[in-house]
Amino acid sequence: MRRRLALFLLPLVFAGAAFAAAPAKKLAGATAPATKLTVPPIQLKHRTLANGLEVYSVADHSSPTVAIQVWYRVGSKNDPDGRSGFAHLFEHLMFKSTAHMPAEMMDRLTEDVGGFNNASTRDDATEYHEVVPSNYLETLLWAEGDRMASLNVNDENFKSERDVVKEEYRFRVLSPPYGRLFTALEKDSWAVHPYKRPGIGNIEELDAATLTDVQAFHTTFYRPDNAVLVVVGDFDQTQLDAWTDKYLGVVPHPSTPIPRVTVKEPPRKEVKRFEEHGPSVPLPAVAATWLLPEARHADSAALSVTAALLGLGQSSRVYESLVYKKKIAVEIEVDADLREDAGLFIAFAVLSNGHNPNEGEKALLAEIDALATKTIPATELEKAKTQLIASILRDRETNNGKAMDIGNSVVVFHDANFVNAWIGKLQAVTAADVQRVTKKYVTGAPPVLIHYTAEGGAK
Amino acid sequence: MSRRFHVLALLLLIVPTYSRAQQTPPPPAAPRAARVPRPTEQTLANGLRVIVVEKTGLPLVAARLLVKTGSEADPNDRAGLADLTASLLTKGTKTKSAEEIALGVEALGATIDSGAGWDNSFVTLGALANNFSSAMKYVADVVLHPTFTQDEIDRLRDQNIDALSVAMQNPAQLANFVAARALFGGGPYGHNQGGTPESLKAITRDDVVKFHRTHYRPNNAVLIVAGDVKPETVFALAKTLFGNWSSGGQAPPPVQSESVAASGPSVVVIDMPDAGQAAVVVTRRGLSRNDPQYYKAIVTNAVLGAGYSSRLNQEIRIKRGLSYGAGSFFDFRREPGAFNAAVQTKNESAIEVAGLIGGEVSKMTSTSVPELELTPRKATLIGDFGRSVETNSGLVGRIGTLALYGLSLDEINAFVAKVQSVTPADVQKFAGEKLNGDARIVIVGDMKKIGDTLKAAYPNAEVIPIDQLDLNSPTLRKK
Repeated sequence: MRRRLALFLLPLVFAGAAFAAAPAKKLAGATAPATKLTVPPIQLKHRTLANGLEVYSVADHSSPTVAIQVWYRVGSKNDPDGRSGFAHLFEHLMFKSTAHMPAEMMDRLTEDVGGFNNASTRDDATEYHEVVPSNYLETLLWAEGDRMASLNVNDENFKSERDVVKEEYRFRVLSPPYGRLFTALEKDSWAVHPYKRPGIGNIEELDAATLTDVQAFHTTFYRPDNAVLVVVGDFDQTQLDAWTDKYLGVVPHPSTPIPRVTVKEPPRKEVKRFEEHGPSVPLPAVAATWLLPEARHADSAALSVTAALLGLGQSSRVYESLVYKKKIAVEIEVDADLREDAGLFIAFAVLSNGHNPNEGEKALLAEIDALATKTIPATELEKAKTQLIASILRDRETNNGKAMDIGNSVVVFHDANFVNAWIGKLQAVTAADVQRVTKKYVTGAPPVLIHYTAEGGAK
Repeated sequence: MSRRFHVLALLLLIVPTYSRAQQTPPPPAAPRAARVPRPTEQTLANGLRVIVVEKTGLPLVAARLLVKTGSEADPNDRAGLADLTASLLTKGTKTKSAEEIALGVEALGATIDSGAGWDNSFVTLGALANNFSSAMKYVADVVLHPTFTQDEIDRLRDQNIDALSVAMQNPAQLANFVAARALFGGGPYGHNQGGTPESLKAITRDDVVKFHRTHYRPNNAVLIVAGDVKPETVFALAKTLFGNWSSGGQAPPPVQSESVAASGPSVVVIDMPDAGQAAVVVTRRGLSRNDPQYYKAIVTNAVLGAGYSSRLNQEIRIKRGLSYGAGSFFDFRREPGAFNAAVQTKNESAIEVAGLIGGEVSKMTSTSVPELELTPRKATLIGDFGRSVETNSGLVGRIGTLALYGLSLDEINAFVAKVQSVTPADVQKFAGEKLNGDARIVIVGDMKKIGDTLKAAYPNAEVIPIDQLDLNSPTLRKK
């Protein structure tokens, strides 16, 4: 759904079914890739305009479409005090009126000509994108410039869109059986960092927001020196540069400083346990989280490979053990969730009928321990890396997918060249790296452990 | 507090400066032509049709093996058989265990998936170009030589029953299950594709083996491949991998004939205490994919309920803030599937939303859609189409649908013109014929909060407490 919040690190999809691979001995018999996977590098062009706007572009003429994205370095972590969910509510309002556009005009300029638009509020940034037939590129650059420079939301628009966001909250958190778990996971995992607050907010704090807050937020954060423009697709570089100057280069940048989150999450001193509940939870779930360093840390690639070994695909260790062999879980997820300031290593399982969170927790932790301490076969390591790189390649099939990778690299990893360098970093990860980071950040550090069950016992 | 004062000051500075900028959007440049790839095909001696679209760019290939029989063929008391059979394909063959298949495919950087739709069963592959042949061997192996061991059947059945217990607690998913029964009763489209706990328990290994033997035949199958691979390479590979697949000298099995048998109440409410939101589905009989009015149907739906700016989303979300999203769709099948409009809203506004849907549908039949509205709605369809054929898996999906229903593959090049040819008069006439008359309304929500609004709007509504619901029964009630 559009104007969505990238809230679900752990999408709950009961895909197909179970099976997984055995470790070492069967791995030896697996078919090796015929040749090493090579990923064509993304050829990036970069400019910084006088008003501070960073522009990244990649020309690709294979289809007559273009993807335009504007990333603002403001995310849910920047929600004002007592206004959880504000950055996300604000994202919705960026589709309302501006100095020169009536409400919903972005839809007229995209959907009505065969394109689409959407946006997402993440922990560290808010991203707006449009994909349009390439002859509309100039029109959309004008529109992005216009809403960067001005926002004229009226009270009626504000209230009805706030109601939409409340429905989104019900849709994401209250209605799905595991919706409340993901809110709890952030709240329980962070001691002080604002990542702990729910990005979607809650009804009370959404109700407290005012139109004055909206204008203040726009003026504070929506400015060229806090934004990144990414354009990928069918365009002429000279034209793009001229249009960027004409429509976005004219947006003035204020001289006030941009407020940044400077809170540092302290290391955990001890294991913490939480019991969380929801009204309709047919199968209990267990989650464990550990703190990770900032995304651009040198250990990030090894942590991503570690998560892939444990949880990516049906041949991964946790899937094989918990879902296939022991049959104690129906769904698992292991993720190195890398963020700008600090990340989380997350292991998660929805248990099978008749099994409890204690069993799930024990089995999850045992698999992670084994990875840290026993020899990792070379073929298994190679498999995990191939899976990760292949999935990056598939994400880049579209202009918008490519642009998303670039934007994320700039705002979360602080380096656009990460889109290309990351592949090499993944390929360079050794078994010793995996074991070192697993010990350092996971088995050697205190977890937060969450058990999620039905209110008043199982139904 | 001090920050807000800054804000006002800055705003005064910014607005005058910026107002000198261009005030109206620059018009579009001349459009550039899209290239729609052309499929080529061969049929093997055993009847397997092989279709290939070469598309260079990224070193990726997508493939789908379609069997032209799906959940419509589930026996009455064996709901979920087609899906279970397809899902079990990758769970072991004569030469490889489930674990070896998963490991082998994932080591190639590929993904494999299998399942059933209403009219087809499928295995899909997403592979890297440099080892596509190795990955395709797994597809052939799981389609031709699955073993369906009892252990794997039991494991998957238990997992599916667990997944159903979760789906049944989700108002939106449950509303779809109920809507199928409400519309199609005991007919082939009335059951849940994934089955129910009871029907899954009734399925035996013999049922699965027989379903595979009867329907998985080369003269009832199509292989579609798109991506960075030469057609000759695919044709040769298909011969090697599927050439020995035999149909046993038999014609393809006949397809199920559809019969609509619903006779239940027109408004059904499933009372789910503590539902965090209500799901509202308005359902009526739609069209078959081969219906000559297909293009009128998709254009009509683009106005009513497809895309952000469709009328349903305009009225329900944008104007009234009653939902995160409202929309409708035709589920085109071999026989007429459902036409559904679906919305999630807070329990208190469920009845209001059901009324808004009804109002927008009848407006489609009573007044003509202005050209000024119709043109952009057609553009959304054409844009969606163009983007779907930009990816290998999207191309495979579009071509697979044409092949499944025996439509000409040339239709992929005719899409734009056919959409453009639909007129406002066509839309109104079509809506009058197909969207008029009795719809069935299904609501899953918390009756404590829905309250008296239900009886006021729908005095004859049937309320079924969730613990009295039986999805196996055309009446939806436990006996």
